[in-house]
Amino acid sequence: MKIAVLSFDEDYVRLLAEMPGVEVVVAGPDDRVRAAADRLGVAHVDSWDEVFALRPRAVVVTSEVARRRDLVERAAGVGAQVLCEHPLAVGEADAQAMVDACAAAGVRLTVASPACFSPAFAVVRQGIADSGVGELLTVHGAFNSPGRSRGGALDDHAPYVLDLVDAVLGGEVADQVYAQANSIVSGQPGTESAAFVSVRYPSGVVAAIDCSWGPSVNQRAGDTPEMTFVGDQGSVEFTANPRLLGGFDRWEAKTDPRSVMLTEFVAAVAEGRAVGPDGAAGVRALRVVRAARESARTGRPVDL
Amino acid sequence: MGQVEVALIGAGLIARLHLDAWVLAGASVRVYSDDGRAEELAAEFGVRAVGSLGAALDGVDAVDICTPTGSHHQIAMAAIAAGVAVVCEKPLSASTAEAEEIVDAAERAGVPLYPAHDLRFSPPFARLHRLVASGGLGRGAVARFTVTGFHPRPWIGQVSARAGGILTDQMLHGVDLAHWIFGDVVRVHAYYQGDIATPAPAGTVGVGTAVLTHASGAISQIVSRWTAKQLPPIRVAFRVSGTGGTVDYDSEWPQEVRATGGAAEKFQYHGESPFVAEMREFAQAFAGGPEPRLGARDALAAVRLTQAAAESAWSGRAVELPVKGAA
Repeated sequence: MKIAVLSFDEDYVRLLAEMPGVEVVVAGPDDRVRAAADRLGVAHVDSWDEVFALRPRAVVVTSEVARRRDLVERAAGVGAQVLCEHPLAVGEADAQAMVDACAAAGVRLTVASPACFSPAFAVVRQGIADSGVGELLTVHGAFNSPGRSRGGALDDHAPYVLDLVDAVLGGEVADQVYAQANSIVSGQPGTESAAFVSVRYPSGVVAAIDCSWGPSVNQRAGDTPEMTFVGDQGSVEFTANPRLLGGFDRWEAKTDPRSVMLTEFVAAVAEGRAVGPDGAAGVRALRVVRAARESARTGRPVDL
Repeated sequence: MGQVEVALIGAGLIARLHLDAWVLAGASVRVYSDDGRAEELAAEFGVRAVGSLGAALDGVDAVDICTPTGSHHQIAMAAIAAGVAVVCEKPLSASTAEAEEIVDAAERAGVPLYPAHDLRFSPPFARLHRLVASGGLGRGAVARFTVTGFHPRPWIGQVSARAGGILTDQMLHGVDLAHWIFGDVVRVHAYYQGDIATPAPAGTVGVGTAVLTHASGAISQIVSRWTAKQLPPIRVAFRVSGTGGTVDYDSEWPQEVRATGGAAEKFQYHGESPFVAEMREFAQAFAGGPEPRLGARDALAAVRLTQAAAESAWSGRAVELPVKGAA
C-alpha cells in the first residue's frame, strides 16, 4: 500500500516505513528531505504533482496548517484516504470545505488524534455506552505537555481532549464554552501556556479540560490526555500512554500511541472501514477551540 | 499563660473530630450542644458538658463552632460580643452578607476569627503553599485542584441548588486552596451538576467544575465531587505550575504504610491528623503565639468564592468580583 506523508515528518515516515506492506513516499525539492528519505529507505519525489500522479492509496497530512486544505482536496481528487493532523484548518469554512471535498470524492477524512485509536479507549467507550459508570455527568481531561507551537495551549492540546469527549458523546454538538488562559509561563503574549476550557453539551454533560503546558512525562513517545469519565454510579480513568518503565525522572510508554494510530489507520484503509475521529469531529473540535479563544478574551461563556 | 480554654459548640461528626484534636493539642474543653448529645460526647473524651451557650462562653479563650451552618452567625456574634475568640467550622456562613457581618464585628471588636479550613493543615497542601510562597515555583500561573468524596450520611439542612446545595462545602476546600496560593480572585465561572439541593439522601451525586481567574493573572480549576459509593472515601489531587516548574499530588499515591488482604485494618497509619495540627496552631495563637496561617479574611473570601461559583452555575454567567476587597 502506497502512503504519502506530506510534508516530511520523520516520526510518521519512520513508523509507517516499519509497517509490513506499506510503501512510503515523501516529496520535496529540498536536499534534506531527499537525504532523510534515503536514510529511512523510503521513496522520494520532488513535487506534490509527482506524488499525486503516483496515486497513493492514502495521504498523511502533516504540513503547516495553511496548506492542509489544498493537500486534502488534492488527495481526495485522486481518491486517496486521508489522515490529517489537528487543526484541519485555521477557519471553520476551510475545514468544512475539506470535509465536503472528501465526502464528494467518497474518501474518509480521518483526524490524527492518537488516543482515540487506542484499543483501551474502545473498551472505555463501550463500557460507558453500556452504563458502566451509570449516567455520564462530567469528563475531565488534562493534556499537559510542553508547548509545541506558537499558537499555544488551546490549539496544541484542547483538540485531542475534545476528540475523546466527542467520541464518547457520539458527536454531540457543544452548546456552551467557557475558557480562561494566560501566557505567564510562555512569557509571550498571544501564546497561551495555561488554559482551562469548560464545555457544556445539550445532554447536560460537562467537559472540564486543562490544556496547560507542563513537563513531558514521556518525551520519546509523546504525551496524550489523561481522562476521567465521571458518572452518577462511578468513574473511569483512561490514558493511552501507560507506564512501561520508570527512571531518569521520566517514564517510557508501553507503545507509541502514534504507532497504534497508524497501524489502525492502515488496517482500516486496507479493509475499507472507518476508524478514529472523522472530519466532522475535527470541525466540531475547531469550533469549540475558536469559541474557547473568544471566551478567554471576553471573560464570558460563549453560546454556540 | 496557662492551658487554653475552649468551648466546643455542637456534638456531631465535626465536633467529635475537633474535640479529639483540641484534647491532643492540650486544650481544656467544655462542650455545649442544644441537641442533648453534649454529655455523651464530653464523657467519651473525659471533658465536661455545660448546659447553656452562656455557660459555655463564660471565661473561655475561644469558642469552636461545630453546629450546622445556619446557626454559625448567632453563636459567632454572641462570642464576639463576649470578647471570646472564634474558631468556626467551614463555611463561616451560607451567605456572603452574614459572613461579612461576622467578620466586620470580629475586626471591630479585635476578636480573632479562625475558620477551620482543615486541608490547609494537610502536609501536601501546606508544602504546596510553602513552595509557592517561597517563590520555588516562580511566578504562579495555573493550578488544578480535585476533591472527590463520599458523604456517609443523608444531607440535613436547607441549602437550595441556587446556593450551591451539597457542593458548597466541598467546593470551599478547592477555592480556599486556590485563593491561598494565588491570592485575590476577580472572576468565577462554574457548572454544577446533579440533584444538589438539600436535604438529600446519602450517596447523592454532585459535580462542580469551577474556573477562577486571579488578580495576578493566574488561573485555577476546581473540580469538586460527591460520589455514590465509598471508593475511595476521599481523594484529593492537585497540579500547580509556575515559571519555575510544576508540582503535583494525588492522595492515591502510596503512603507510609500499605497493607493488603485481611490484615489491612491492623496497619492503618495516616500520620498526625490535620485537625490536630490545626487546633495546635490556633491554641498557640490564643496563648500569644504567632498568627495562624489563616484568618477572618480567608473565611470571608472562601464564602464569597463558593457563593460566586453557585451564582455562576445558577445564572450561566461568569461572575465578576470587585477588585477592592475581592475574594
